[in-house]
Amino acid sequence: MSSNYRHGEGEWSMYSSHTVSPPIIRLGSVSAQRNNPLLQRRLQQHNGLEAGGHPMVTPETDQQTDSGNMVLGGNACARCGQGFRKDEEMVNSSGQVWHVHCFVCAQCFQTFPEGIFYEFDGRKYCEHDFNVLFAPCCNKCGEFIIGRVIKAMHASWHPNCFLCELCTAPLAESGFIKNAGRALCHECNAKEKARGINKYICHKCHSLIEEGHIKYRGEPYHPYHFNCTSCGVELTVEAREKTGELYCLRCHDKMGIPICGACRRPVEDRVVHALGKAWHPEHFVCSKCEKPFLGSRHYEKRGLAYCETHYHQLFGNICYVCNSIIVGDVFSALNKSWCVDHFTCSCCDRKMNQKTKFFEVDLKPVCKGCYERFPGELKKRLKKAYDQTQKK
Amino acid sequence: MSKFKKYLDDLIEHKGTEMELIEKGIVNLTDVPNILTLRQLTRITLSHNKLSVLPAGIADLVNLEILTLFNNHLQELPITMSSLPKLRILNLGVNRLSSLPRGFGAFPVLEVLDLTYNNLDEKSLPANFFCLETLRGLFLSDNDFQGLPPEIGKLKNLQILVLRENDLISLPKEIGNLTRLRELHIQGNRLTVLPPELGNLDLVGTKQVFKGENNPWVPPIADQFQIGASHVFDYIRSDTYKYLYGRHVAAGSPPPPITNDKSKKISRKV
Repeated sequence: MSSNYRHGEGEWSMYSSHTVSPPIIRLGSVSAQRNNPLLQRRLQQHNGLEAGGHPMVTPETDQQTDSGNMVLGGNACARCGQGFRKDEEMVNSSGQVWHVHCFVCAQCFQTFPEGIFYEFDGRKYCEHDFNVLFAPCCNKCGEFIIGRVIKAMHASWHPNCFLCELCTAPLAESGFIKNAGRALCHECNAKEKARGINKYICHKCHSLIEEGHIKYRGEPYHPYHFNCTSCGVELTVEAREKTGELYCLRCHDKMGIPICGACRRPVEDRVVHALGKAWHPEHFVCSKCEKPFLGSRHYEKRGLAYCETHYHQLFGNICYVCNSIIVGDVFSALNKSWCVDHFTCSCCDRKMNQKTKFFEVDLKPVCKGCYERFPGELKKRLKKAYDQTQKK
Repeated sequence: MSKFKKYLDDLIEHKGTEMELIEKGIVNLTDVPNILTLRQLTRITLSHNKLSVLPAGIADLVNLEILTLFNNHLQELPITMSSLPKLRILNLGVNRLSSLPRGFGAFPVLEVLDLTYNNLDEKSLPANFFCLETLRGLFLSDNDFQGLPPEIGKLKNLQILVLRENDLISLPKEIGNLTRLRELHIQGNRLTVLPPELGNLDLVGTKQVFKGENNPWVPPIADQFQIGASHVFDYIRSDTYKYLYGRHVAAGSPPPPITNDKSKKISRKV
């Protein structure tokens, strides 16, 4: 979780448990190379030039001739590629040579203050530009981090800047625990956990939700972080999520949520769709007996629903003889219905079928045999009445 | 008589539940041996015979559901009959009944009662007649009713009421309580007005029947009849009619004379 980024002599080194592949950064410093006798001498030359103007020929310039600008022994400036005059000072660093005025920061083209430079990817930078370009910034104070870098919480920190968010104890050595997006010391984390049992941490502000949270996309939030998608009012715990948006209860109830055709309240759980309306299952009932269908078959008539018994009772297909619902074929005549087996002559109770000719007396079926045995005067009266209605 | 013996033996042998003896010239049920012991019978048809009485033992046939005695010579019925516990359909049409026995209204499950073509009137009905609350159809055509007791309103399940060719002078307002009524036949009576309460009922739909021809209706009703039965119902529901009806009843004008000639009815023969 943290890495050391040491500023020392020789190389920058990076000890990291992270997967970031460390860039190879090499620090070069003229002063740091003073232990090298050769370089030391060259610096003396350099200094001597500035001081007294008595240049000395370095061993590397041995092959120089007096013929002025000739290239010495194939030595060319690593920056401009030009050779050196016979007695020109040069800077030698890690096997390459430069004109004094060419040995500058790759970014600002100024000589290195105090001769200290940083090398990265074959280029040399002054300390300032190197920091600007490559050094990490502290997530707390915003300053460059030289030396040890704490990498934690997806950011870099000075060791002294990486503190517990609650008690400001330094975490660099003791380590930290991530708690609802915060870096906490072990002690504070334990306190938070104890406080937050059965409580939610707001996914937006990361503080504990003392009472009344709403869930949005599966995460808990303080309701007041949101406004109703429809009317814009600040939300309360009564807010509802619908198709990935949050709405206040009022707007939610008005939108596409089915309203029960009986009680006029929204149907949130199971819903029955019938008669072009939605119903709570327990509110979808027979219009006659008011028992809920609860999945059993219902019959519709003039916009009302009926159970089987009452549909038949109210709308026919009850056998005149057995007074039961007619299963199978129905004989319909004389404003009445019969089971096929129950269609009989009303006078002799003999079975008749659809081919049997029968007479109608008071809207009852009478077979031919019985009608012929009717009292003569009755037949006369019936015929007279029949003729009368036919005339009309 | 032995002429039914084979039929009865067959019936007993096959444990038949339906007996049919039509136009056999039976004068007395004693002519049919052992009939009253056949407890299994659910249906008995004795139409077109010459029965004048029924034995009290008929009540022993406790499984009887449908009893058809159409066109006999019955003048009276046994008191015990009304105890038949399962009787649903009783046809006594074309007989010679002038009265019904005491307690006749005690049938527990009677649904259809056909008394067409007898000599009955409102005075010949026993006191408990209108306790027959299970009744779906009541057929009283060709009798001598001049009025209906107001208790008719107790027959809550009545769907069919047939009173063709009686001598009815008026209908009780309680007829308006028969909310399940879908057929009313009152043609050929002496009716001049209808109780406005009849307007409570729906008798002019496609599934309903209202027959009211051949009555001496007051002119406004007669006029509506010319146009159609539905107009009669619209009219009797109006305030105009309620006023007219009130005045008509208050005036107490004498009823129209009896016009039906019943002298030739065979039910009159004794």
